[in-house]
Amino acid sequence: MRQSNIGWLFLTPATLILFVVGFVPFIYILYVGFFDWNTNAVDPTLRWAGLQNYRSLVFDTTFLNSLARTLVFAFFVVVSELLLGYVLARALMADRLWGRQFFRTIHTLPIVVAPIAVGATWRLLCVPGFGIVPYYLKLWFGIDYNISTNAYHAFVTAIIMDLWHWTPFVTLSLMAGLTALPKEPLEQAQIDGGNKLQIFWYVIVPMLKPVLLTTVFIRLMDALRSVDEIWMLTKGGPAEATRFIGLHIWINVFPKTDYGYGAAMSLLTLYVTIVLSWLLFVAMTGRKGGAQ
Amino acid sequence: MNSFVKAVGVGFISLGLWSSTALAQDSWWKTAAQPYQGATIRGISESTPASKYVEQVLGPKFTEETGIKVEFEATSWDQMYDKAIKDMEANTGIYDFVYIEQDIVYTYLARNFLVDITKSLADNAKIASPDFKPENFTTFLNYFKDPKSGDVMGVPMEAFIKPYLYRKDLFDDPAIQKAYKDSTGADLKPATTHEEYTQIAKFFTEYGADKELWGTTVQASSSHPAAFYEFFESVAPTFGVYNWGIDGTTFAATEANGGQMNSAAAKKALNYWIGLLKYAPPESTSSTWDEVAGTFAAGRAAQGLVYGENAAWIATDESKSTVVGKVGVALPPVEAGVMEAAESGKGYIGYYDGGAFGIPHSSKNKDASLLFLQYIGQASVQTDWALAGSRIVMNSTYDDPKIVDQDKKMNGYYTLMREDGKLFAGAPPFPFHAQVLQVVAPFIYKAIVGEIKPDDALDQAATAAEAELVKLGYRK
Repeated sequence: MRQSNIGWLFLTPATLILFVVGFVPFIYILYVGFFDWNTNAVDPTLRWAGLQNYRSLVFDTTFLNSLARTLVFAFFVVVSELLLGYVLARALMADRLWGRQFFRTIHTLPIVVAPIAVGATWRLLCVPGFGIVPYYLKLWFGIDYNISTNAYHAFVTAIIMDLWHWTPFVTLSLMAGLTALPKEPLEQAQIDGGNKLQIFWYVIVPMLKPVLLTTVFIRLMDALRSVDEIWMLTKGGPAEATRFIGLHIWINVFPKTDYGYGAAMSLLTLYVTIVLSWLLFVAMTGRKGGAQ
Repeated sequence: MNSFVKAVGVGFISLGLWSSTALAQDSWWKTAAQPYQGATIRGISESTPASKYVEQVLGPKFTEETGIKVEFEATSWDQMYDKAIKDMEANTGIYDFVYIEQDIVYTYLARNFLVDITKSLADNAKIASPDFKPENFTTFLNYFKDPKSGDVMGVPMEAFIKPYLYRKDLFDDPAIQKAYKDSTGADLKPATTHEEYTQIAKFFTEYGADKELWGTTVQASSSHPAAFYEFFESVAPTFGVYNWGIDGTTFAATEANGGQMNSAAAKKALNYWIGLLKYAPPESTSSTWDEVAGTFAAGRAAQGLVYGENAAWIATDESKSTVVGKVGVALPPVEAGVMEAAESGKGYIGYYDGGAFGIPHSSKNKDASLLFLQYIGQASVQTDWALAGSRIVMNSTYDDPKIVDQDKKMNGYYTLMREDGKLFAGAPPFPFHAQVLQVVAPFIYKAIVGEIKPDDALDQAATAAEAELVKLGYRK
C-alpha cells in the first residue's frame, strides 16, 4: 500500500504537466469552438454560437478540400515510406553491403534537419527559373516542371520532400524491429518450405506488427499535421493545391483571427485523426480495444 | 610666425568648440539614458534594406551612446507579423518596439496595441529629445497618427513609392529602338498606358528569347499575399479602382452593392495583369517583392513595377546588381483619366509603402524604447539611412548632397518620389486588412494559375470579401 502511494507521488509532476499542457488547452479549444470570436470584429468579444461553427464546417468546401487533400497526402506518404523504409532497412542490414555503416549514416542525416530548413532547401531546388530540379527536368526529359503553376507538380514534390525527410525514420524503426526478431520462426518456416513472399507475409509481418503499428501511427499523425515544410516549399499553393489542413487552420486562427472557427476545425481534425488511427489499429490487429 | 601661432590658436579653439559641441550632443543621450543603463530592448522588423541598416548601424550606434543594448530581429514579412501580433495579443512583452507596416497600423490602433508616443514624451519630459521633431517628417507621418487625437503612434523608418523601373540601356539602344519601331510602328519609350506597357513587354520577350531576358516582372506568387498586394495596391489603382474596390463607408465589395472589386475596371485590370505573365520570367509565379527586385537586378526583365526600397541597391550596388547604371525610373502606366484624378486628389496611381517603429503596450522597457525611436527619428541619421535603403521620411533628406548625388545615379528616383509622391497613396484605413486579404487572395492565386478566369475570380472574391465583412460586423 505504501509503495503504491509513493508511486503516485512520483507520477504527480508528470501528471500535472500533462494536465496543464495537454488537457487544459484541449478543454479551452473545446470551449472556444462553441463561440463566435474574432478580435478584429466590430464586436471582438466571445459570442455564444452553439454548434454554428461545426455546422459551417460541413458546408465549407475550402475546409473539406483541405481535409481531403491532407488525407490523400498522408495516405501516399505513409504507404510509400513504409514500403521504401522496409526495402532500405533490408538493404542496409545486408552483410554483403560494402560501406554499410557509411550508407546508414548518410541515409539517417535528413532526420536531423529541421523541417523549416528542409522546406527552404527543397524550395531552392525547385523554384522555377533558378532551381536545378526544373532545369534538369527540362534539359533531360523536356518536362516543364513548375511548382508555382502546376498543382500536380507541387503535390508530388510535397510528397517526395516528405519521403526524403522521413523515410529514414521508418527505416531505422524497421531495422530495430527486424534485428530483434527471433530467428527460430524464420528457420522453421524455411524448413517447412515457405517461399520468401510467404515467409514475409505470414511470419515476418505478424512478428513485426508492433513496430509497424507504432511507426505507422507516428508517421500518420505527423503527415496529418504537416505545416512547416509545406509552408516553406509552396505556402500552400499554387492556389490551394497544397493547403493541407494544418496550414488551413493556421491561416484561420492567426492572420484571420477567426478563433472560434479555427478551434472547431482543430477539434474536427483531431476527431478525424483519432478515428483514422482507431480504424488502422483495428485493421492491423483485428482488435477493437486498446488491450485484451 | 605670428600668423602660424594664430592659425594654431584658431585651430585649437575650433577643435575645442567642436569637441564641446560633440560632447554636449552625446551627453543628452547619455544623461537621458542614465536610468536605463544596461537595459536591453528587443525589436522585430521585416528584413528590408532599411531594417538591416537599423540592425547593423543605428542599433549599435545607439548602444554606444546610451549603454542601452538593442537586440534586433529582422525576419520574413509573415514571421514579423506573426510574432509581433502574438506577443502583443498575449501581452508577453518579448518585443519593445515593432515594425508597423503602413497597412496594418489601423488594425493595431483599433486593438490598442500601441503606446502613444506624443503623450508619453509629454508626460516624461526628461526623455524627450530636442532633436526629435515630428514636424520634420514628410506627410507620411500622418499614417502613423491616431486619427482621433492626432498623436504620433509610430516613428517612420521607411517610406517609398512603387515606381516603374525600366532598363534605360535597352530603351536607349539605337538598334533596339529601330527594331521596336520596325516591329510596332511606335517609338520605344517608357510606357504611359497599359497598351504600351504590354506592347513593350511582348517586344522584349521576343527580343530576349535567347538572352534570358523577358518583357516585364510580375509579382504574381500563386500562394503569397504579395500577389494580392501587387494587384490591388499597384495595378488596380492605375485602372481607377481604389481601396481594393471596397467602399469605405458601406463596406460593399460587389458592384451590385456599390463596391468596385468586381467592376468592369477591376476585371480589365486583372485580365491585363494576368496577361503580362506570358511576358514574364518563369519565376514570376513564385515571386514576392524580394524576388521581383532580384529578377530585375539580375537583368532578367526589361521593365517592371518594383518596390522603391530596392531601387537604390538595384541601381547602385554592383555586388548585388547586374544593372547598375542602367536603371530608368518613371511613373506607372495608367488608364485615361486616372492621372487627372490622382492630380486632383480624387484617386491615386500606385502604392506609397513604408512603415514605422512603434512601442507595444506589452513592452517592459517603454522609456528606453522611446529613446531609441527618437534616436532613429533624428534628422542627422536620415541621409546615410536613405542611401542604404532608398527610403525618405524627412523633407530635409531630399536636399542632402549625398542624396542629390545618388538621385543622379538612380535616374531621378528621389526626385520622382519628392515631386510625384503625392500621386501615390498608402493602404486604405481598414482595420480588417488581414482578414479581407486572406479571404480574397486565394481567388487571385487561382486566376494566376488559370484555375479560374480573372472575371470569375473577382466576382467570387468580391462576394467572399463582403461575406467576411458581414461576419466581422462591418457590413450590415
